[in-house]
Amino acid sequence: MRIGLLTEGGYPYVSGDARLWCDRLVRGLGQHEFDVYALSSSRSQEDEGWIPLPPHVGRVRTAPLWSAEDDGVVYGRRARRRFAECYGELAAALCAPGSPEAAPTLEADRFGSALYGLAELARDEGGGLGGALRSESAVRALERACRAPGAQQTAREARVPDLLAVTAHLERTLRPLSLDWYQDDDLGAVDLCHATSGGPAALPGLLARHFFGVPLLLTEYGVRLRTHHLAATDTPPAVRSLLAAFHGRLAAEIYDRATLVTSGNAHARRWQERCGADRAKLRTVHPGMDATPFAEVGESPDCADPDTLVWVGRVEPTKDLVSLLHAFAEIRKEEPKTRLRIIGTPAGPEGEAYLGHCRALAAQLFPDEAEGPHTVGDNPVSFTEIGGPELPTPADAYAAGGVTVLSSVVEGFPISLVEAMLCGRATVSTDVGAVVEVIGGTGLVVPPRNPRALAEACVALLRDPARRERLGAAARARALELFTVEQNTTAFHGIYLEIVSRTPVRRVVVDATGDPLPFAVPAEAHVPGRWAGPRVVTRGTPGWATQAPTGATTPTPATEAAR
Amino acid sequence: MSDLGELDRPGSPGAWDDRSQQWLPNEKKPSATKPAAPVNAPTPTTPRRTAADPVKALMHRHQDLCNRAVNPLEIAAGLEAHGITDRTATRFRHRDVFSLAEEMFARATRDAAPSAHHKTTDAPRVRLDWAVLTLLPGLLATATVTALRLTEGRPRPAIAAAGILTVALALRAALSRGPLATPPHHHTSNTSGTSVWTAWLLAYALLGDGLLQTALTGGPDALPTGTTADPWPLTPAPLLALAWSFAPAAWTAHLLATRAHRRLTTSRALDDFSTAVRPLILTTLTLYLAALTPLLALTGAILGEPAPYARTLPLGALLLLARLLTTHGFTHAPATVLMATAATEATATAAVFAARLPGCDALAIPVQTLADTWGPASVPILTCTTAALALLFHASRTLTRASAHTPPEAHTPPEPRC
Repeated sequence: MRIGLLTEGGYPYVSGDARLWCDRLVRGLGQHEFDVYALSSSRSQEDEGWIPLPPHVGRVRTAPLWSAEDDGVVYGRRARRRFAECYGELAAALCAPGSPEAAPTLEADRFGSALYGLAELARDEGGGLGGALRSESAVRALERACRAPGAQQTAREARVPDLLAVTAHLERTLRPLSLDWYQDDDLGAVDLCHATSGGPAALPGLLARHFFGVPLLLTEYGVRLRTHHLAATDTPPAVRSLLAAFHGRLAAEIYDRATLVTSGNAHARRWQERCGADRAKLRTVHPGMDATPFAEVGESPDCADPDTLVWVGRVEPTKDLVSLLHAFAEIRKEEPKTRLRIIGTPAGPEGEAYLGHCRALAAQLFPDEAEGPHTVGDNPVSFTEIGGPELPTPADAYAAGGVTVLSSVVEGFPISLVEAMLCGRATVSTDVGAVVEVIGGTGLVVPPRNPRALAEACVALLRDPARRERLGAAARARALELFTVEQNTTAFHGIYLEIVSRTPVRRVVVDATGDPLPFAVPAEAHVPGRWAGPRVVTRGTPGWATQAPTGATTPTPATEAAR
Repeated sequence: MSDLGELDRPGSPGAWDDRSQQWLPNEKKPSATKPAAPVNAPTPTTPRRTAADPVKALMHRHQDLCNRAVNPLEIAAGLEAHGITDRTATRFRHRDVFSLAEEMFARATRDAAPSAHHKTTDAPRVRLDWAVLTLLPGLLATATVTALRLTEGRPRPAIAAAGILTVALALRAALSRGPLATPPHHHTSNTSGTSVWTAWLLAYALLGDGLLQTALTGGPDALPTGTTADPWPLTPAPLLALAWSFAPAAWTAHLLATRAHRRLTTSRALDDFSTAVRPLILTTLTLYLAALTPLLALTGAILGEPAPYARTLPLGALLLLARLLTTHGFTHAPATVLMATAATEATATAAVFAARLPGCDALAIPVQTLADTWGPASVPILTCTTAALALLFHASRTLTRASAHTPPEAHTPPEPRC
C-alpha cells in the first residue's frame, strides 16, 4: 500500500513537531510505501534539513507555508469572476450566524463547495491563487459578506484593518490549495492520505479525496481548533470571530470527509466530537513511548531509596511545584526521613523565574539538616537536571526514588507519568488532563491544588512498601500494554488496512491482453525489496462513488471491468 | 473584639505596664489575619464557602476571557488552560466543560465598545539607517561630478565609471530598506526589468539630448573623449538633482505610508479608505516635485547649466510613481510603462540615425519637426510626461486599494502552539 503522509512543520524536518512518532510510524511499517508531503513552517526549519529517511519513503515533496511565492499567473476576466464567486461564498459561510457545529448542513455545504471551487480554479489555471487571495477583490468580497444582511454582529463590526488581517490569514492557511501536488502521479497515486494534524496539513488530503477519491485518515494529537483559540487572544473581536468560524468550519469539513479520525486521548476526542466529528469515525490511538530505556529500571526489584519522592518534568508554573513543596512539608511531619528530588529543566524565562521561586521557598520551608553534629548537612529538597553525571538518563531519574509525584494543575498527555509507569514506580498524581485515563487504577490520584490530599496519598504509599510494589508492577504492565511504540504502530497498521478494505479499488491492473487482474493490488505485500507492481491504469473516480459502501467491502473485479 | 490576642496578653489582668504597651501596635495583626484558616490545623475550621451561584464566581475569576470571547469554544479552551476539567465542571452542575463554557458565554456581558479591544499596529517608523542612506546617492554623485570637474585627460573615464558604479551601489543599498524598499515576497522578474529601464532613462537624461542634437546636425563624428569640447555633450545637472532628490522621495513615501496607515486604522469601509488615500497620492507627488524644483535650480546654478526643469520634473515624477507602485506590490505596470518610455526615446534617436540610410529620409521627419519646434529636449519631455500621467492614473486606482497597504505584520505567520 502506498501512503501519503501529510505533515505541517513536522516530520522530515529536523526541528519538526511530531517528528518522532512519524519517524517511528514510518520505520515501523516497512511493508508499506510512504510518500511524504510536508509543509514547512519557517525558513530556519527548512534550512536545518531533514532527518535520515528509511528507504521505503518513496518521494518527499515540500512546500513552504511561511512565504508567498508569486507564481506569475495572472487571472483573466473569467477566472477572476470565478474566484470572486467562490471567495464570496466562502466569506458568506464565515459570516453566517450560528456556531459551526450548530448548522451542519447548509453552511458546511457552502463552505465545502467554496473551498473545492477555489482548489479547482487553482488547478485549472495552473496556479495564481495566492495572488488572487491577497488581491483587492478578495478583501471586497469579504467586506460585502460582512455587511450583508443576516451576517453575525461581530462580523458586521469589522473595520478595514480587520478585513485585511482576515484576508491575510485566510491566504496563509489556504496556501496548500495552490500547490501542484494534485496530479495523477502525485497525490492521485497514493492509496491513502494520512494527515498528521488538522488545519493546513489536512487540506491536501481533502483535495486528494475530492479530486481522486483517496481516503483520508486524520490524526490529531493536539486539536487544531483548540490551539487556534488559545493562540489568538489579542486580535480584535471581528477578526477572532471570522477566523474562529473559518477554523471551525474547516475542522468540521475535515472531520466530515475523513474516513477515520484518531486522537491521542479522550480529551482530544471530546473536542473532535464537539467540533462535529461523527462518533463512529473516532478512534483513540495512544501515543507510543519507547519502553527499552526504562526496561532495566522497571524490571529490577530493588529500589535506590524508598524514602525519596521524585518529581520529573519541565519546570513551569502550571506544574504547581509550590503546592508540591507545601505537601512535602506535611509529609515531613509524618515521615521525617523523607526526601524530595525535583528533577527537570526550566522551560523558558518564565520557568527560570519559577524555579528560582521554588528554590527560595524550599530553602525557607526546610532548613538544611545533617545526620550528626560533625557532618555537613544538606536540604531535604534537591533540584537537579537530567543529563548530569548523577542522573544521565530519565530512567535513572525515576530510579532515584520510591514514589513518583505529579502535581500539575494543567496537563495534556502526561509523558512523565507514562515514563514513571514504565519504570514500575508507584505514582501519586493530580486529576488533570489525561492523567486518569493514563493511570487507570494503577496509581493514586488526588484533586489538583490540594497539598493535603497529595501529602496523605504520599504518606500512605511511603508507609506501605508492598502496596507500592503492587501498584508499580501494575503500572508497568499497563504502560507496556497501552503506551508503547509497537502498540501505536500496530494500531495505525490496523487502521490503514481497515480504511483500504472499505475503499473501492481505484487502480485497475490489467494483464497483457488488457483483461483486469483481480487481487493484483494487495493491501500489503511481504516481499523483499520494493514492491514493483505490473502495469497500472489510474482512473479518476467521481467523488460520490468513493463513499464506503455499507454492505460489501470492496467491489468485485467484474463490476470494475464492466465500467 | 474579643479574640485570642486578648487572652494571650501578658500581665493581665490588672497590671497595665510598659510591657503591655508594646502589644498595642500588634493588636490589629491577629484580627487582620484571622479569617485565613490556620495552616497547621488538622481539619479546616470553617467549611468551604459555597455561593448560591458558583458559575458567577467562576465568571468573575475569568472575566477577561468571558468578555473577550466570541465563541463558547474559546471560553472552553481558556478554561481548560486554567486547569478546569470535566470533573471540575460537575461542581458547577454541568456535564462537561463545553456546557459550562456555553453558560458562561451566554451570561457574559460583552461590552459594546470594540475600540477598547482595537489594537492598532505600529505605524512605520523613521529609522536612522534609511534616513542616512537616502543622502548617500546625492553625496556620491556630487563627489563624482566634482572629481570630474577637477581632473583633466586620461583619468576622467575611470573616475566616471567608478562614480557611476558607486552611485548605483548606493542606490541599491538605499532601496533595500526604508519606505522605498520592496517587501521580500514581491521580488519578481519585473523588478529587475524596472531597474534596467530606469538605468536606461537616467542614461538618456545624461547624454540623450546632446546626442540627439548632434545627430540632427550631422554628428557625432568621433567617439566620446571626455573633454569639455566633447562631441557627445553631457548634462549632469538633472542626474545630480535626481540623486539628491532621493532623500525627499523617501521622506514623501514615508509620509504617504504613515498617513495611509492612519487612514487604514480609522476607516470602516474600503471605499472610505480609497477616497481618503487618493488625495494623499497627489500630495506625495506634489511635495516631491516641489522639493525637486529647487534642487534643479541649485544644481543648474552650480554647474553653470540652464536649470532643466521641463526635462527632469516629468522624469522624477515617473520614477517616483514607478517606485511607489513597485513598493506596494504592483510590479507589472511600472515595468511596462518604463520599458515603453525607454523604447520611445531609443526609437527617436535611432530614427534620426536610420534616416541617413539611403531612401529613409522620412524616418527623421517627426523627430526633426519636434526638435525644430520645441528643441531636442521635447522628446523626453513628451514621453516622460505621458508615461508619468499614465502611471499616475494607474496609481490613483491601485494605490488607493486597502490591500496595497496591508501592514507587514499580517504577513508573518504566528508560530503554532501545541
